[in-house]
Amino acid sequence: MFELFTNMVKEEWRVHSTMFGSLSFALFPVMIFGIAFMGSFLLPLMRTTLQAGNLTLIVHATYLMLGIMVGGFGLLGNEVMNRRFGQASLLAYSARSLPLSEKFIFSNFVIKDTVYYFFLWVLPFGFGYILASPFIGVPLADALLLLLTLTLSFLFGLCSVFFLSAVYARSHLVLWLVLLAVVVGLGGLAAMTGANPVLFFPPLLLNSAFTWANFLISCTVLALLFGVAIVLFNPESVGSEKMYRDSFAPLNRRFSFLPNPPLAAKDTLDLYRSGSLVGQTIFSFLLPLAVIWFFLSLLGPFFPPHGLLFVVAVTTGVIASTMYTWVTMFDTFGPYACLPVAVSTLITSKLTTFAVLQVIPAVSIAAVALLSGEAVYLVPAMVLGISVSFYAVGVMAWLCGLSPNVLVYDVRVLFVYLILVGIVLAIFTAVSFANPYFALFAVILAIPTWLLVRMAKVRWDAVDPEGF
Amino acid sequence: MEVVLEAKNLSKQYGDVIAVNNISLAVEKGALFGLLGPNGSGKTTMIKMLTGQTRPTGGSATVLGVDVIRDPVGVRGKVGIIPEQETPPSFLTAMEYLEFVAAVRKIPGIETKADWWFDFLDFADKKNVLCKDLSRGTRQKLMFTQAFIHEPALALIDEPLINFDPIMQDLIKDYLAGYVKKGKTIFISTHILEVAEEICSGFAILHKGTLLHTGPVAELTAAGEHLPSFFLSLVRKDRHV
Repeated sequence: MFELFTNMVKEEWRVHSTMFGSLSFALFPVMIFGIAFMGSFLLPLMRTTLQAGNLTLIVHATYLMLGIMVGGFGLLGNEVMNRRFGQASLLAYSARSLPLSEKFIFSNFVIKDTVYYFFLWVLPFGFGYILASPFIGVPLADALLLLLTLTLSFLFGLCSVFFLSAVYARSHLVLWLVLLAVVVGLGGLAAMTGANPVLFFPPLLLNSAFTWANFLISCTVLALLFGVAIVLFNPESVGSEKMYRDSFAPLNRRFSFLPNPPLAAKDTLDLYRSGSLVGQTIFSFLLPLAVIWFFLSLLGPFFPPHGLLFVVAVTTGVIASTMYTWVTMFDTFGPYACLPVAVSTLITSKLTTFAVLQVIPAVSIAAVALLSGEAVYLVPAMVLGISVSFYAVGVMAWLCGLSPNVLVYDVRVLFVYLILVGIVLAIFTAVSFANPYFALFAVILAIPTWLLVRMAKVRWDAVDPEGF
Repeated sequence: MEVVLEAKNLSKQYGDVIAVNNISLAVEKGALFGLLGPNGSGKTTMIKMLTGQTRPTGGSATVLGVDVIRDPVGVRGKVGIIPEQETPPSFLTAMEYLEFVAAVRKIPGIETKADWWFDFLDFADKKNVLCKDLSRGTRQKLMFTQAFIHEPALALIDEPLINFDPIMQDLIKDYLAGYVKKGKTIFISTHILEVAEEICSGFAILHKGTLLHTGPVAELTAAGEHLPSFFLSLVRKDRHV
């Protein structure tokens, strides 16, 4: 049944390449390779300020987060395939017409995602570092080991989300119990050994000293997470009908102060009933944020006083901007094409829902400020984080319209996004390092944000709606 | 008679493929007009252009006096549309979807109107079911309802009887016939020729994006011809050209 896997890979490629041309998509891993290759030459410079161990931590955390985000993209709850593919007719639906079980198809789907995104993200990065290693005095064996441990980190993120989402689909309570057990377990480990529990992360252990025993431990944990996810996978039973009492009319009235109340009410019901609001908040926001905060906290001594809070705020802003993908993932323009709704109206509506969701990053930044004992800088940190989030979403709306989940893989789009967002991040991180209260100047980002949203509406209204 | 829909040299090209080529036609008020053609002849593209769902690459069209290129949203505000494939939003119930449509279109008294349609099309037991869990037939009933709930002066329907059982098909045909008697206009696209002959007053035949013929059905029957045989001979002749 290798054919199913290979055809799913072909299908995934065509989903992306037909959106913006094969060449643009094919260049995506080339760009990742280029960034890694050129970035490697900065390593000797970075080592003068960062300990090698901390740098390894950051890179592994990044790949763990990448795995979490790739896995979290649509793989939540019972609506796994529907949510990922919308109304498109893909091989993921072949259980309906072919003698293949849902679990078999899901296994192939997961393996396909793993292999596909490995070649799209992980391998180009590792290859860039390997190729640069002779020039920066890194032994080739170390570079190859890094590729292996980064791959394992990525797989840990991916398999953890598959595991947690499978548990979530079965029982929300069990999910919380599992998460609680993990936190208690890590706390217990720290108490017993007196060491930072993150250092027991199997790929990190393997990176610090390669042993076959450690390699086997990593593979066994991954196989367990993956295997349990497949066993627990609960396909939606055919013919089941979910019934709800009318919630649209009351929500529509409650949102009467918003620009497009019916569209906002629909978005709210989409997010709530699909389970995405909770699922995405945990897997695509809180979990990556917790991982980043944790690893950044290890670098605290290298930041200026109060710098950590502002780095976390900026990072929170960037992650929060991806909430735009949560509200645009449910439908294409198609279902609106029979109604008097323009693409620009939909963009406004999605951005309005996005704005409401910004309560989540605001609360998160407040929690970080309070927990780290820096409540005095709560307001500037929050202004910085939320301003960055709105600016980044303005860039996203301008570049991607209503299709950020797909167009992000267009290398030209990603390149412009990285430049426009990267420059702003660098400037405002530096400004807040100079003086924490200077972070308040980030409100100035409201101007480019407003312009970008205006440009987005004009640009995407001019595109044939059929192109969405 | 007043013309409610007029296309002049309308064309649509996707890359090298010409989906619709230079088509001109007019539909008068009160007509039940059928756009006929085999699969891939350009019927759906034609409806999409006439309802502002896709932009023509050439020519012009007005629907109820509104230019479809300049004001596509304005056109969609005036007409009722049943697209060929689109389904209602997954996470709204059938009733909520109609409320959503009513809110967007600013239709008052939606509860009474929706209840009438739920009873008329016999799916009141599904009003609180999520759209994603509805059968194809029930989704089609819902899409039919959303297109007519504001009683538009013109409705454009892509394959009106698709997914309906024979009883429902009969009910729909009667409804369409009664609707045009009230002075409203209906524009359908179909490849079910017997249905077109039974209910349409005027028709146009498309093949490979080109208009082969347009005229009233009565003219054809007066000449002792049947629409299916006329259609087949015309299309077969065009294939050999």
